Amino acid sequence: MEGVAIIGAGQTRYGDFPTKGVKELFAEAYLEMLQSVDRGLDPQMIQAAYIGCLSAGSGFQLGQLAPLLMGHVGLPHVNAVRVENACASGGFALYNAACAVASGKFDLVLAAGVEKMRDISSSKGRYWLGVSGDTEYERLAGSTFAGIYALMATRYMHEYGLKREHLSMVAVKNHRNAAANPKAQFRKAITLEQAMNGVPVAYPFNIWDCSPTTDGAAVVLLCNARRARDFTSRPVYLRGFGAASDYLAIHDRSSITRLNATRKAAAEAYKQAGIGPRDIDFAEVHDCFTIAEILAYADLGFCEEGRAHYLLEEGITQLDGKLPVNASGGLKAKGHPIGATGCGMAYEIFRQLRGEAAEPVRQIKNARFALSHNVGGSGGTAAVFIYQRGDE
Amino acid sequence: MGAHISIPMYQRAVPQRYRLVGQRCLKCGKVNFPPKAVCKYCNAGFEFEEVTLSGRGTVYSYTIIAGGGAPPEFAEQAHCQGSYPVVVVELEEGPRVIAQLVDPPPAGITIGMPVRAVFRKIYEEEGVIRYGFKFRPA
Amino acid sequence: MSISVVSYGVYLPFLRLRREEYVNALGSCSADIKEKTVMDVDEDTMTMAVEAARKAVAGLDLERVGVLTLASTSYPYQEKVMAGTIVEALGLRKNILTGHHGSSTLAGTEAFLSAAGLLVGSGEKYALVIVSDAPVAGASAEMEHSFGAAACAFVLAADEQGLELEGFYSCVTESLGLRFRPAGEKEVRDIGVRTYSNQAYNETVGAAVKGLLNKLGQKPAGYRHVILHQNDVRTTVALAKKLGFGDEQIQEGLVYGQVGDTGACSSLLGLCRVLEKTVPGDKILVGSYGAGGASQALSFKLNCRLPGRSESFQVLLEDKKYISYTHYLKLKRSI
Repeated sequence: MEGVAIIGAGQTRYGDFPTKGVKELFAEAYLEMLQSVDRGLDPQMIQAAYIGCLSAGSGFQLGQLAPLLMGHVGLPHVNAVRVENACASGGFALYNAACAVASGKFDLVLAAGVEKMRDISSSKGRYWLGVSGDTEYERLAGSTFAGIYALMATRYMHEYGLKREHLSMVAVKNHRNAAANPKAQFRKAITLEQAMNGVPVAYPFNIWDCSPTTDGAAVVLLCNARRARDFTSRPVYLRGFGAASDYLAIHDRSSITRLNATRKAAAEAYKQAGIGPRDIDFAEVHDCFTIAEILAYADLGFCEEGRAHYLLEEGITQLDGKLPVNASGGLKAKGHPIGATGCGMAYEIFRQLRGEAAEPVRQIKNARFALSHNVGGSGGTAAVFIYQRGDE
Repeated sequence: MGAHISIPMYQRAVPQRYRLVGQRCLKCGKVNFPPKAVCKYCNAGFEFEEVTLSGRGTVYSYTIIAGGGAPPEFAEQAHCQGSYPVVVVELEEGPRVIAQLVDPPPAGITIGMPVRAVFRKIYEEEGVIRYGFKFRPA
Repeated sequence: MSISVVSYGVYLPFLRLRREEYVNALGSCSADIKEKTVMDVDEDTMTMAVEAARKAVAGLDLERVGVLTLASTSYPYQEKVMAGTIVEALGLRKNILTGHHGSSTLAGTEAFLSAAGLLVGSGEKYALVIVSDAPVAGASAEMEHSFGAAACAFVLAADEQGLELEGFYSCVTESLGLRFRPAGEKEVRDIGVRTYSNQAYNETVGAAVKGLLNKLGQKPAGYRHVILHQNDVRTTVALAKKLGFGDEQIQEGLVYGQVGDTGACSSLLGLCRVLEKTVPGDKILVGSYGAGGASQALSFKLNCRLPGRSESFQVLLEDKKYISYTHYLKLKRSI
C-alpha cells in the first residue's frame, strides 16, 4: 500500500451566504487549496475527485453533481464522483480518495465536500434534515435527527449518570473555540447558564445542544507520500483511515450509548497508523449534537465507556487541556455544512499541524498526531482518520 | 414536503404497522421486528415464521420532540399538541422499536415504564391516512 | 336459531372537554353535558373502532369470525372499504362478509341487526359488530357543543349463551328531525326547529319501542334497563318515562352527560354500561334513532354472565385528561 499525504487544503468560511451557491462555495475552497500548495501545482495533474454532498443544493442537482462542480473550476475531464453518506459524506469522500491513492492507481486525488443549506424554507430544511435516518421507522415516528441523538442522551444519562450540565459543557467549550476561529459560523462564546436554558428542541436538548444549518465547502488534495515533497515542504501524512457502518435505525442497535461504526472505524485507523488513542495530541470529532462528542470520547478510546463526562469536568478536552477536542469549534459552533464537514475537519488539522491556525491563541503547539472523526446521521456510517505532522 | 413513501410501499408494511407481525428466526429462535431478510441476531438465518407480537414492552429511552422542529409530515400534529414524545420501546419478545408515545403520564416518562401498543393515525400523504402503532402507558 | 352477544368492548378517547370550557369561551353551552370525549389529533373513527374491537375479540378464535359489520356517520373516507383496516389491524381472516353502515345515527343498530342476519344466513360462528362515531359540526353551531366520540364492539354468536337478542322492531318515517348533512359536506346542519325535532324523535322512537313491546307481549316493567338514543338527556328521559319506564330503569344507561352525543354509538354505548349492572335473567331494551328518520328497538335477555372486562366503564370514564377550548379548536382544525 502506498503512503498518503495531504499537500493542500482550503475551506470557505462556514455560515450563511445568500450570494453563494454550491458552485461558488466549492470554487472558493478549491482555489484556497491550490494556493496552499506552496511549491505549486498544475491543477491538470489532478486525476480523480471524490466530492461529498447530501442535498446537492437542496436537490437541484442530485445526479452528477461532481462533474458540474469540476467543470466549474476548469477540470471538466477529471474522474469525478459524488459521495453520499449523509453527514459523513465528506469523510467518505476523503476515505475513498485516500484508498485511491493508497492503491497506487492515482497520485493526485481531490477529496472535497460542499453543502448549501441556508437558502431553503424551514419546511424544506426539516425535510432534508430527516432524509438520512431510517425513514420508515425513525422519521415516521415523528422523530428528527435531534430526536434520535436525544434518545441516546436520555439512555446515557440513565446508564451513566450524565447530567444536563455535561451536555452544555460541550456547547460552551466548542463555542469558546469557535470564537477564535475566523472560519467559524458562530464566533461568540456562550455561558453555561445560556447553554442550559435554550429553546427546547428534543428533550434533553435545547437549541444550544444542536449544530446549526450551514453553507460551506472544503477541499483537500491528497498525494502519494513519495511525491508529496515535490509540491510542499510541509505535507501532513494520513497515517490511518478507517470507515464502517452500523444498523441505520437506532432500535436495531445492541447499544445506543455508543456508536459501533465509530469503534470499528477507529480500530481500523489506529491499526493502520500503528498508534493508539494515547498518542493523539488533538482531535476534531463529530459533535452534531452535544451528546455525540461525549459518545465519541469513549468510542475513539479517549476514555472508558460511560466516563466521558469526567473528561469534560477535568477540562482535558479544552483547547489548553491535555487532549484538545474540536479546537475549530466543532460542528456545534464552527458549523455543519453536511457534505463538507468531514473535509473541513481535515482542513483544520492540516492547518494546525503546519502551525497555520491563523490566530495564535488557537494554535495547538507541539502536536504530532491528530485524529478526525466524521459520522453519518446517527451513526449509520463513520470514518476516522489519523494524521501525522510531516516535518519529521 | 414529506418523505415520499408510496401507497404500495406503505401497504407492504401494513401487517407490521397494524398488528406488529414480526418474524422468528428458524435458525436462532430470536424474534426480529421490524422484519429483516437475514436475522439481525445471528446474521445467518433467512427463514422465519411469522409471529404477532403482544405490543407490550417497556420504555428503553425517550425524548420529547418540540413542535418547531418536527418533520414536515408531523407539523399539524405538532401544531395541535405543541410537542410530542418519541420512545424506543423494548418489546417483551425482545426487539426494540421506535414510535410515538400517546397520553404520556403527567408525572413524566421514565425509562422502564410499561407500555402497550395502540392503533393510531401516523400521518397522511396524498390524502391517504397511514395508520400504525404507537405506544401508550400500560 | 338464537343470536347472542358473547363479548363486547368499549373505547373512549383519553381527552375530555368540560362544559365550563364552552361557558368560559362562548358565554354559554347549549348541551346539558358535564363533559364530553374528544379524539386526539391522531385518532379517527377507525382507530377507535380497532381499539374497541381488540377488547371485544380478546381471547376469541379469530378464524371463526366470519362476519364483520361497521357503523359510523363519520368514516375517515367517503369512499373506501373501511373493513380492510379492521381486518388487517385485528388479523381477521380475509374471507369475511362485511357490511358498512352510515348516513345516519341509526347505523349502530343497523350494523348490529345486519350482523345477526348475516350470521344466520351464512352459518358462520361469530360476527363482529363495531360502532364507532364522532359526529362533526362547525365550531359556530350550537349543536356541536354536545358532540363526543366513542366506539363499542360486540361479538355475536349463533346458539351460544350470552346476551340474547330476543326481538327487534323498527319504525321508518320521512321526518327530517334533528340534523342532516348534504353530500360533500363535512359538518351536520341543525334544522333548528327544536319542538318539531323533539316531536319527530318522540314519535319515531316511541313507535319502535311500543311496536317491540307489543310484538313480544312485554311490558316496560319487565325490563331491568332501557336505553334510548341520547341527543340530550331531557328529551330521552321524558320519552322513556312517557313510555312507562321508571328512573331506576333509565338512569344506568345515560352516558350522554359524561361522553356527549356519540352519534351512532349512543344507545349501544349505554348498553355496554348497563351490562356491568345486569345479572342473568335481566332484560334490556335498546332504542336507537337516526334523524331523517328511523328508530330500531332491540330487546335483550342476559342468559349468562359475559366475560369479565379488564377495565370497567367507570375506569374508562375516569381515564382522562381535560383540554382547553383552544386546544379543542386546534383538534377540530378550526384554528
